[in-house]
Amino acid sequence: MLSFLESKKLLDSYNIPLVNQRLAFYFDEAADFAVKNGFPVALKIVSKNLIHKTEEQAFLLNIKNEEELKKSWQILEAISGKKEIKSGFEGILVQKMAQGIELIIGAKKDEIFGPVIMFGIGGVFAEIYKDIVFRLAPINKIEAEKMIKEIKGYKILTGFRGKKAVDIGNLAEILVKISDIISQEKNIKEIDLNPVMVQGKEINIVDVKIIV
Amino acid sequence: MINLNPKSIALIGANNKPGSVGLGLARNLLEGKNKRKIYFINPFQKKILELKTFNKVSEVKNKIDLAIIAINAKIVPEVLNDCVQKGVKEVIIISSGFGETGKPGEILEQKIQEILKNKKIRVIGPNCLGIIRPSLKLNATFAPITPREGNIAFLSQSGALIDAIIDKSNSENLGFSTIVSYGNEMDVNLNEFLEFLEKDKETKTIIIYLEGIKKAREFFKIAKRISAKKPIIILKGGRTQKGKTAAKSHTASLAGSYEIFSGACSQFGLLQADTLEEVFDFAKILSWQPRIKNKISIITNAGGAGVLATDYAQNFGVETGNLIDLIGDASSEKYKEAILSELKKEEIGGIIVIQTVQFTTNPIENAKMVINAKKLFPKKAIVACFLGGNLSKKAVELLEKNKIPNYSDLKRSMAALNIIINKNSPS
Repeated sequence: MLSFLESKKLLDSYNIPLVNQRLAFYFDEAADFAVKNGFPVALKIVSKNLIHKTEEQAFLLNIKNEEELKKSWQILEAISGKKEIKSGFEGILVQKMAQGIELIIGAKKDEIFGPVIMFGIGGVFAEIYKDIVFRLAPINKIEAEKMIKEIKGYKILTGFRGKKAVDIGNLAEILVKISDIISQEKNIKEIDLNPVMVQGKEINIVDVKIIV
Repeated sequence: MINLNPKSIALIGANNKPGSVGLGLARNLLEGKNKRKIYFINPFQKKILELKTFNKVSEVKNKIDLAIIAINAKIVPEVLNDCVQKGVKEVIIISSGFGETGKPGEILEQKIQEILKNKKIRVIGPNCLGIIRPSLKLNATFAPITPREGNIAFLSQSGALIDAIIDKSNSENLGFSTIVSYGNEMDVNLNEFLEFLEKDKETKTIIIYLEGIKKAREFFKIAKRISAKKPIIILKGGRTQKGKTAAKSHTASLAGSYEIFSGACSQFGLLQADTLEEVFDFAKILSWQPRIKNKISIITNAGGAGVLATDYAQNFGVETGNLIDLIGDASSEKYKEAILSELKKEEIGGIIVIQTVQFTTNPIENAKMVINAKKLFPKKAIVACFLGGNLSKKAVELLEKNKIPNYSDLKRSMAALNIIINKNSPS
């Protein structure tokens, strides 16, 4: 698995922006980010040896003020002291809490089909609905838009109950770029952008996992 | 390049024994005896059907274009060697007991690969039913029935499914240009058969049944190119986890993830059918009707059926023009007026003609009206939905003989119309 910084560097080189965030080592750095960018925020332990963040309770969401931030920081600091997490420890991420609809964008090198790209609805029910669509990579923007429109839950993205429609064009561009990465980068086996939070024009990639 | 048009055939493993594969093949081959030379090879039987047999292919003096091998897998390498020596151009290995059965079979398959190395001879199979080309009177299979001539090609990874397809096609008024059971794809693979069909003038529509796919990237590249000219309908087996396990033992190839396969079909313009019934529904409309723009009118003598058809149209994203309810006592003359007035309209791509048999209904007359309308408007699509059973049976036969597809259910008719509609063109 690529480290957080390696992942970020790769995505940067393809012009794929992550959610507004800062990798902090000291509480003051995290507090500074939160005050400047506004609460609520999320804290996440970043460690190469941490594959399943949920199981280790390695993140805390919806932190509303500085006092809560302090408590949360201390909890995560304690967890990150665990032996297996510590060896790959890169810091604690402080992120602006992103709102909206949860999506998944993924890519992998399939042994039969070669590089493929996936798009779908994320969230807690993702495994149940399995509302996902694949394409052989690379794809162009027209194909990416076709792909987005093919999911069963497409209507969710077009604006409902007064919500603004999601910027399909921008979303499609991210898909195109991820499909380029999986087709061009020889050493990369899998990419997981999960969740990608979308709301109107805003697209926030909240978590990244890249397997080499 | 494969040719699949032999002027001479040797059947290795021809047999007198009732119920044997060797006898089935021998019978089917003799159907084309006026078109080509047939030789039966069997060292243990002197005469099979009306022909004197040979001990080996090398005993045949004339050249042999195609050899069909239907003997125990263990002696296939030896016999194949004879074929290479004789200069046979193409071979179909019907025998099973190769890669699909596990390790010993795989070793046998490797042995054959060795024999084929750097040779011009091409091999179809093993573990297959063979090929059929009705217009050439070539039936190199042991299928119990022969299909009609037509413009549909069918490539199948499963052999037994072909029997069912032929049987069904005969009752659905459909005919074939070429049927291939491609088996384990040891030498000639699915992609090469597709390229063969691309050039084949007879073939207008292609159906593929597959479980695992060996050269997926290349397959989609070729299929995309071909489907722009000849629509490709795919029925995929091994979609579920359990289905996949069955697929592996069946054809010795890995079934890919169905979700990826399905996404790629939609990416490259291949049509996916969900059921065998749908394969026929699609094949029929694709080979009999033109591609049309997205607006269809519904003409019916039963209000409820019209409403249902409109619902289905909406679900499939098919745009509807007029819904004309001729009411229960509609005469054939009334049908004719409505049909012609709708087809005349510039914006209408096609019509669906629904009929339920009521007291005054004349199914045969109505069918004739539809057939005449099709002659007047060949560029528009006409689909019939003559509902019911025995009362409209003769009319349905007449319709389909004249290449008007009839569907016994409104949903099926709309699903079929949906695939000939060009959704990207403005209606």
